[in-house]
Amino acid sequence: MFNKVLIANRGEIAVRILRACRELGLETVAVYSEADRNALHVRYADEAYLLGPAPSRESYLRGDKIIEAALKSGAGAIHPGYGFLAERADFAQAVLDAGLVFIGPKPSAIAAMGDKAIARATVRAAGVPVVPGTEDVGNLSDEELLERAKSIGFPLLIKATAGGGGKGMREVRSLEEMPALLTAARREAKASFGDDNVYLEKLIVGARHIEIQILADTFGNVIHLGERECSLQRRHQKLLEESPSPFVDDDLRQRMGAVAVQAARAVDYVNAGTIEFLVDKDKNFYFLEMNTRLQVEHPVTELVTGIDIVKEQIRIARGRQLSYSQEDVRFKGHAIECRINAEDPFNNFMPSTGRITHMNIPSGPGIRVDTGVYAGFEITPYYDPMIAKLLVWGETRAQAILRMRRALEEYRLIGVRTNIPFHQTMMDSHRFMGGQYDTRFVEERFRMEEVERTAPLRPDVAAIIATLVADRETRLAAQIIRPAKRDTSNWKWVSRWERLHR
Amino acid sequence: MKYIATIDGKEYTIEVLDERHIRLDGQLLEVDFTQVSGQPVYSLIINGQSFEAYVHRDEDEWEVLMSGHQYRARIEDEREKRLRLAGGGAATQTGPYHLKAPMPGLVVAIPVQEGQEVKKGEVLLILESMKMQNELKSPRDGVVQRIRVQPGENVEQRQTLLSVE
Repeated sequence: MFNKVLIANRGEIAVRILRACRELGLETVAVYSEADRNALHVRYADEAYLLGPAPSRESYLRGDKIIEAALKSGAGAIHPGYGFLAERADFAQAVLDAGLVFIGPKPSAIAAMGDKAIARATVRAAGVPVVPGTEDVGNLSDEELLERAKSIGFPLLIKATAGGGGKGMREVRSLEEMPALLTAARREAKASFGDDNVYLEKLIVGARHIEIQILADTFGNVIHLGERECSLQRRHQKLLEESPSPFVDDDLRQRMGAVAVQAARAVDYVNAGTIEFLVDKDKNFYFLEMNTRLQVEHPVTELVTGIDIVKEQIRIARGRQLSYSQEDVRFKGHAIECRINAEDPFNNFMPSTGRITHMNIPSGPGIRVDTGVYAGFEITPYYDPMIAKLLVWGETRAQAILRMRRALEEYRLIGVRTNIPFHQTMMDSHRFMGGQYDTRFVEERFRMEEVERTAPLRPDVAAIIATLVADRETRLAAQIIRPAKRDTSNWKWVSRWERLHR
Repeated sequence: MKYIATIDGKEYTIEVLDERHIRLDGQLLEVDFTQVSGQPVYSLIINGQSFEAYVHRDEDEWEVLMSGHQYRARIEDEREKRLRLAGGGAATQTGPYHLKAPMPGLVVAIPVQEGQEVKKGEVLLILESMKMQNELKSPRDGVVQRIRVQPGENVEQRQTLLSVE
C-alpha cells in the first residue's frame, strides 16, 4: 500500500488532490512545467519535479518523465486528475508496468470507454439508447462522412474521435457548409489531440446535459451519487453546474442511476467515473459517453452528498471497500458551481492573459473555492483558461442562487479579465432562476445586455467614478510636466543649485 | 474643472470642485473617493452609499465595471467636446483597420489573402491560445492588405497581424 502520491496535473485540480492527500496523511509529489515554477501546486507539495518547457506536450503530457519522477521520489501511486493523461489507457498501463498504482480505472476500462464504438455497443447491449451517429463504424474519410450525414440528418455534430471538452467539435446545419467545418474540426483535433479523426452525431434539439457520478471498488460494489446538471455550456464547454438538476425527479434519478451503474459494471469499472447523458424534453435519456476520470465539477456532488470523491478514489486505489453503500447516499440541499475563466464576457469570451495583481476570494457560510492561482501569479496562454471554481451550497436552489450572487459580488480579481460578470448576469436571469434552460441556452437565448438586473443600474454613479478617475489622470499628467510643483519655490531651488555647482 | 460624461447616449455634466465636492448636473454632492491599494479599483462613498468599480481605459473610452455591469463612458471637458462636434464625426470609417492580436498565441490559419475583398464578420485569422482556437473577424467590409504573419508563427499581444482597407 502506498504512502506517497504523485499528482500528474496542474492548477486547481492538482491543489484539490493535494488537499485530499494531506488530510489522509499521505506525502505528495508535484510535477510542473517551466511556466508553472511558482504555481500553487508546486508550493503546496512536499516534493516537486520539473518536467520540461511550458507547452503541454513537452511537460504535462510527458508520461515517461512523470513515471520517472514517481520512481525517483518513491511515490507509490499516480493521480492523473482530469485532462492531460487522465484518459490515456497507454499511460495507465505504463504506470502499472512501472510497479505503481494508477488512481483511476483499469487501462482496459479506459480503452473500452475511450473507444466510443465499444462504449456505445456495451451500453446498448445493456438496453440504454444511444444517440444516432457514426462513431461505431470507425474512422471515415470526408467523402464517407458527407454520405452518411444525409441519413443521420441535420443538424448534426462533428466530434473529434480522440476528443473531449469541445475541442475539434463543430455543429453542422446543412450539407453545403459541412466540408469547410470538417476541415476546421480536423485541424483543431490534430492540434489538440494529435489525431485528426472525427465522427458524426445527431444533434438532439432542446437537450439537457445531465451526468451521473459513480464510484466502484475492487470488490464489485458500484454506487451512484446522483446527477449533475451541466446544460449551461458555451461552445460545448461547461460554464456552470448544479446538483440536483431542477429537471430531474426522484424517479428519473433512480432510473438514470441504475443505468449508469449498469454501464460501469459492463466494463468492469473501478474507481470514480461519470456517465454523461443527453435528456430530451420528454425525459428520454441517451447515453453520450463515460468519462473515466475525476470531473472538473465533482465538488457539486461532494457538497450535496457530503462524500469526498477524491478520498474515495484513493481509498479504492488502496484496495479497500467503498465507505458507503447505495443506501448511505443521501442528498441534502442544493449546490451550484461557477467556473471562473480568464475570458472577457464583454468581448466574445476572448481568453485573457496577464498577471493577477489583486485577488479577493469570497468566503463565509456555504462557500467553497477551488483555485490554483493567487495575486502575483501570471496567467499564461499555454493552458486551459479556467482559474477557479466557485461553489456554494444552500438548503434550497433559491438559497443557493442568492448565496452565489453574494459570493460573485465579493470576488475581486484584477489583472486579467474574467467571466464573473457573465455568472452575475446568469444568476439574475429569469430563465435560469426558473430552471428552464438547455444546452443551447447560453449561445442562442442569453444576452449579457438583455437580462433584467436585480441590482438597479447606476449610470450616474459610473459617470462620476469615470470622471473622477479621468480628472485624477489629467492632474497627475499636469504635475509631471509643471516644474513649479517642487516643494520649494523656484528661486530658492535655483539658488541652491547654483551654490552646489559652484 | 467641468466635464461631460456620456454613457449610453445620456450626458452628465460633472464639475469637480475640490477633493471632496462635485456638482452633478448642477447638484452639489459630497464625495469620498479613493483608489484601493494601488489597484485600478476605486471606492466611492456618496451620500452614505458605498460603490466600488474596476476602471480601465480603452482607447478613447473608459470602462467601468460595477456590480457585474460594464458601463462605457466617454469623458470630455468642454473644449474637447466642442472640438469633436466641430469635427462633425465625418472622420469615421476611413483609414485602414489594423487587426491586432488580442492575446499572445499561435497563428493557426489565415483563410484570406492579400487583395481579397472581405465582408464584415468574415474570419481573417485563427489564433490559438489557451487550447482554444479563436476566430478573429473583420469589423467591416474592405480589402485585405499587408498580412504580416504566417501560420505557425507565435505572436505577442497587440502585435499587428494584418490590415483591412
